[in-house]
Amino acid sequence: MRRTILASTCLAAALWSGTVSRLAQAEPPEETATTKSQSEHDPIEGVNRKIFWFNDRVDVYVLEPVATGWAFVSPKRVRTSVSNFFANLRFPIVAVNDLLQGKVVDSASDVGRFAVNTTVGVLGFFDPATRFGLEKHVEDFGQTLGVWGVPPGPYLVLPIFGPSNPRDVVGLGVDYALSVTPFFVDQYILIGVRAIDAVNERSLILEEVKDAKEAAIDYYTFVRDAYFQRREALIHDGETNAELEDELYHPELGGEGAVP
Amino acid sequence: MTHRNYCMPKAARLALVAVSLAGVFRATPARAADSPRAVVERMTNAALEVLGDKSLGVDEKRHRLEEIVYREVDFDTMSRLVLGRNWSRFTPEQQTEFVKLFKEHLSVTYGNNIENYKNERVEVVGDREEGRGDWTVQTKIVRGGGSNDIQVDYRLRKQGDTWKMIDIVIERVSLVANFRAQFQDILGNGKPEKLLQILREKNARHEPLKTTDDKK
Repeated sequence: MRRTILASTCLAAALWSGTVSRLAQAEPPEETATTKSQSEHDPIEGVNRKIFWFNDRVDVYVLEPVATGWAFVSPKRVRTSVSNFFANLRFPIVAVNDLLQGKVVDSASDVGRFAVNTTVGVLGFFDPATRFGLEKHVEDFGQTLGVWGVPPGPYLVLPIFGPSNPRDVVGLGVDYALSVTPFFVDQYILIGVRAIDAVNERSLILEEVKDAKEAAIDYYTFVRDAYFQRREALIHDGETNAELEDELYHPELGGEGAVP
Repeated sequence: MTHRNYCMPKAARLALVAVSLAGVFRATPARAADSPRAVVERMTNAALEVLGDKSLGVDEKRHRLEEIVYREVDFDTMSRLVLGRNWSRFTPEQQTEFVKLFKEHLSVTYGNNIENYKNERVEVVGDREEGRGDWTVQTKIVRGGGSNDIQVDYRLRKQGDTWKMIDIVIERVSLVANFRAQFQDILGNGKPEKLLQILREKNARHEPLKTTDDKK
């Protein structure tokens, strides 16, 4: 499942990013409306919203009920262990991307994490490494591309996979190649395993998703912005951008978000 | 951790602000000399105390926390930032109503979370000065049981002698920026009245606590 979707979306995204950027250039850059910064990054909002809606239906009718059932029959500790197990298997993605971003120390630490959690942590079901000071890192090839200066391109909502952009779609493809499981496991089993992973992960954020839907005025925009912010923060590892800061916290100074 | 970001936006955790927003402020007035860090630390402990107090009912807890939050957060500044340059498109009356509705919306949605409190702890892990005098205090919510900690940063601005909260950043997603994006979308195609109407309807579906409604 993942493989086919990936292949087609990679291709589509590659084509898309080219077309869209040309389209964007053709359009007059002047935009007096107040929506500038965000809608600029979401030129195919109409399509995205439809896919977002579809994903939400899949979630509401399939994923969430199954995850709720799973949460009902298994204690949180079990589910956390399953989550640890899958996270441990993804260690090559993290370690390699650390290296590609020049974070040698982090990379070594993540290899250490894998070693500790696979042994002391019983095949990764437990996470003693964090207690030993080897903290978990969130790295992927989409971030690496960002660090290398590749722009994200337009916002894309992928079927099933959710929020993304051409840069992160390429990242997904590369990370897939880096993950351990595809080389050891039969395709059909892999689909099952991915499904278990997804259900288990969903079961850990049942309340959070419910609350997010409640708190959002427009859930689509909520998710889109949260995705932008989170990805940017991960790429810049918490470094603040003075210009964006001013735009956000000092609109009176006359930046992008300023009062005209 | 990598793939799951794509399927299930971590930002869904913004909701967890619940525990943090509702849970981080204290009833005692801040002393003038308190550093932003001291303010956050003191408030956090007190709020956790309220949340963990088994002798209090949910309404009573919410009432107390709400009072604390209303005193410690600068909702005027927060609202102004959330609207960005759209702020000036609002008439003074609309601005006042917006501040009230926005405050109510946060209270309602995050207040719902009080019952979800499961003995999380909060640790202040650092602080730093931001550009133009603001201050950020970094905390994490420790959930235990193998669950990941949640990063929550508070941005404070000095108002006279006291530091007031103007933004909360959960797992690096700013509440102000997130709401600004949502409201910009609505205001891009509509007038201020449209946004106010949406907020009124959204709030009406719940029942905000009437008791603290009129307090500033």
